[in-house]
Amino acid sequence: MLLITRRVGEKIMIGDDVIVHVMEIVGNTVRIGVEAPRSTPVYREEIWHAVRDENRAAADAAPIELPSPAKA
Amino acid sequence: MSTVIIDSSRFGTLEIASEDVIEFPNGLIGLGGSRYALVGATEDGAFSWLHSIDDPSLALPVANPWHFFGDYAVDLSDADSARITEDPANVAVYVTVRAGAELADFFANLRAPILVSEGRGHQVINEAPEAPVRAPLFPAAVAAAA
Repeated sequence: MLLITRRVGEKIMIGDDVIVHVMEIVGNTVRIGVEAPRSTPVYREEIWHAVRDENRAAADAAPIELPSPAKA
Repeated sequence: MSTVIIDSSRFGTLEIASEDVIEFPNGLIGLGGSRYALVGATEDGAFSWLHSIDDPSLALPVANPWHFFGDYAVDLSDADSARITEDPANVAVYVTVRAGAELADFFANLRAPILVSEGRGHQVINEAPEAPVRAPLFPAAVAAAA
């Protein structure tokens, strides 16, 4: 892992086309701006993990027959 | 008419018309493959399977969210809207389903719906405040089990 110290207003380049801006620091919260190409999705890490887990759980589903909503 | 064959481990041999192949430029989060097709829809249209064309053992049950959550809303970030760039009226919305043994164990991921439009699919993050990753699909069954 690369560790870099940055001040508010400074930026980091990732490759040629992703720019990470350090916008604001208040207490232990950092506001970050990410400029990335349209084709590159940007996720909060905890949401990415939660969605990955749900996708994998869905793909592991056992039943062949899906229920009818009318049953509920 | 050209077709694609999936030797599905779940459904046996499936013949998919080329125009029904959905391209996911960014795949599904955490899963491989970029080409999928919707197969095995239930008669009422509530459920179907999003089947990988590249991996014959990979299929996810998906649901039409409005069959279960009448007031469901998808709120996209500007970046996601720009990526999809379609008239919202032409976008089909699906949510992945975590299927369980009992109805009370079925959940839908309302946070990360799959948007399909003109042969392209994107799994996006829904910014709406009430969009849990694991929402009970059959709340009445959950209440009855409690």
